[in-house]
Amino acid sequence: MADAIVVRGVTKTFGPKVAVRDFDLTVAAGALTGFIGPNGAGKTTTIRMIMSILFPDQGEVSVLGHRSALDAKDRIGYLPEERGVYKKMKVLSFLRYIARLKGMASHGLDARIKKWLERMDLGDVARKKCEELSKGMQQKLQFIACVLHEPDLLILDEPFSGLDPVNMRLLRDLILEQNQRGATIIFSTHVMIQAEQLCARVVMIHEGTKVLDESMGAIRAKFDPRVVLLEPLDASADVQGLQTLPGIRGVERDGEEWRLSLTESSDPPTVIRDIVNAIPPARIELHRPSLEDIFVQIVTAAKEGLQGGESSRVTRPEHEQAAEEVHG
Amino acid sequence: MNRIFWIAWREFLATVSTKGFIIGILVPPALIGFMLVVMPILFNDAPPKIEGELAILDPTGEVVEGMTAYLEPEAMARRRDDFKQKIDAATPDAMRRLTAGTGSAAATQSVLDAILGETPRIDVLRLAADADLESEKKALTIGSAQDGGRLAIAVIHPDAVERSTGSPSFGSYDLFVREKLDDRIEDAIKAGLRETIIDSRVRHSGLDRDEINALTHVRRTKSITVTEAGEQETNEVLNMLLPAGFMILLLMAVMTGGQQILTTTVEEKSSRVVEVLLSAVSPMQLMTGKIVGQLCVGLVMLVIYAGMGVIALVSFALLGLIDLSLLIYLPILYIIAYFTLGSLMAAIGAAVNEMSEAQALMTPVILTMMVPWILWLPITRDPNGTFATVASFIPPINTFVILLRMSSNSPPPMWQVWLAILVGIAGAYGALWFAAKVFRVGLLMFGKPPNFATLIRWVRMA
Repeated sequence: MADAIVVRGVTKTFGPKVAVRDFDLTVAAGALTGFIGPNGAGKTTTIRMIMSILFPDQGEVSVLGHRSALDAKDRIGYLPEERGVYKKMKVLSFLRYIARLKGMASHGLDARIKKWLERMDLGDVARKKCEELSKGMQQKLQFIACVLHEPDLLILDEPFSGLDPVNMRLLRDLILEQNQRGATIIFSTHVMIQAEQLCARVVMIHEGTKVLDESMGAIRAKFDPRVVLLEPLDASADVQGLQTLPGIRGVERDGEEWRLSLTESSDPPTVIRDIVNAIPPARIELHRPSLEDIFVQIVTAAKEGLQGGESSRVTRPEHEQAAEEVHG
Repeated sequence: MNRIFWIAWREFLATVSTKGFIIGILVPPALIGFMLVVMPILFNDAPPKIEGELAILDPTGEVVEGMTAYLEPEAMARRRDDFKQKIDAATPDAMRRLTAGTGSAAATQSVLDAILGETPRIDVLRLAADADLESEKKALTIGSAQDGGRLAIAVIHPDAVERSTGSPSFGSYDLFVREKLDDRIEDAIKAGLRETIIDSRVRHSGLDRDEINALTHVRRTKSITVTEAGEQETNEVLNMLLPAGFMILLLMAVMTGGQQILTTTVEEKSSRVVEVLLSAVSPMQLMTGKIVGQLCVGLVMLVIYAGMGVIALVSFALLGLIDLSLLIYLPILYIIAYFTLGSLMAAIGAAVNEMSEAQALMTPVILTMMVPWILWLPITRDPNGTFATVASFIPPINTFVILLRMSSNSPPPMWQVWLAILVGIAGAYGALWFAAKVFRVGLLMFGKPPNFATLIRWVRMA
């Protein structure tokens, strides 16, 4: 299947500031990809270039097989980061208007709009003015405007921001449903847990440069901290003594929990079996880094790499790998 | 194309369905109706009748008698009739025809009556030569102007009628009036004293006042305009007002559409809905749709007002006052002028974050649009002069200038009209080109509002 989005060597500058630098991205058709990065990293600029709202200074963008998203706008649903509605327009009129701009025919349009409004718990606001809706409701309204025409490609810029947990879950389910329908989805977010739960693949951008582009499994493998978390059954057990076991580099207490660092060459299942034999555990697990940890790790490493140079790399070896990612 | 239509349609509906627009459309005719119908009614609520006395201390012995005759109610009523006839004579024929048989003529007379107020009754009291002026003045502070008390005291100078020996000039008079005396009464008293004193002076000089009046009066006359089509009485008022009327109509329609496009663009940008729109249409489609939508808003306004004007002219059989081809040129010139201003306004709207920031960028545009107001008088006076001719080819004011000239009594040659239209189209194209570039870059620029240098940079960037 052809790729839905192909970005090659794209650079965009605003005056002296380089917003996006030599950026590459390929999103396969039908994929659900998370696009993460700190504030000002270049996510929105990249998305706007994909949408042909902004145009790159260098490089090429291809969307759904077209050289410009302008040629495929009817097949794209876009939820921008800065959400807005016509305040004085009624909800139904607003959705009709956007649908018509997306090339939808009038026949059956109202029925489809009403169905979506019901689905989003907005059934009773169709005749209300947009300004009468709460921020969360306006956001749901915009999501409807984004998916009403059943696009092949959904680009969602921070779709979860400002939503309460119930609506966040509703939106997550809807995104998954759209993906199951066959839509390719790329969404940017700061809520890492959402990216972890939703995405098979994550792309991270920092200071305009791509620093991560992997499947979730590969990311976890790459950023494996090689730490075992242990909570002994007997709180008085000599956990410090485990330091003598082969494959264990260090032991550190963290409240009720102990963090056991493994050497690079150790085999985690073997080490865990040895630990269990030595001290019966109430709980023992191989620590899995969260995407948030990885995000913070990469961003911090990038900052320290720029500020502190080599010294920080020597004292914090676990950041070396991330720093290499950033600069490599 | 379909998308441009939907954008234009929304823009049009969103504007014409607002209270502001409906009120804006209805207020001017309502004001005119108010002036024609309600004002006379209000003025008919005449000021209270004034009765009282005018005390005169007259050492000459000549003024009291004359003033008594001057202030007689019959004499005052006669003078009012003369004044009304003078007003009627000064009214242009077309205006007189316009008001004849509509009740407006009667309304005009009643307005005049109201302005003049009810004829006052003023008795003249001669004060004794040795009267104490200070104690006489006290009467001015008692009662009111309506209760028959004293209204004023006139103290005639002894040399008011005959010069003092060796003096080159005459004396005059002093006038003491009560508080809040109606100025029309004071004016009547002053006019009476002046007339009476002059009469006395003329008589004492052995001359005849009527003869002097006859000798010094030359009747005003109206010029006759000679054209190829024949001769007609020159109508200076209509010659000046008609071009101004057309220009105001054009300016109003252009400004309404221009202002609205600015407002809606700023609103779309500040409410961030613009990015949603840009995901569905290109900036150029968005701008074109908006411009076309507001163009229709201006056209609606133009049709309503021009239609009302034509209906009025037809009703009063005055359609011959205007060249009907103007009604064809008016929308053409409107479209050109609107595209020029509208696209600049769209660019400004896209460049700023909120309306308050737009003021700095709008000022030169608005000032340019005000130029025709400043040029109205000189161009109407000399519609085919060098100045008017040159201004006809300088966009963006050329559409207004050529319309002023076309609606004047000396229209320009047709080649100038079409050249002005071509220059206007070129100007509008230039404005659209500039606006499209600023619009595309500016729409997603937030933060510090740009200055003109920034706009130029954006044009280069786009």
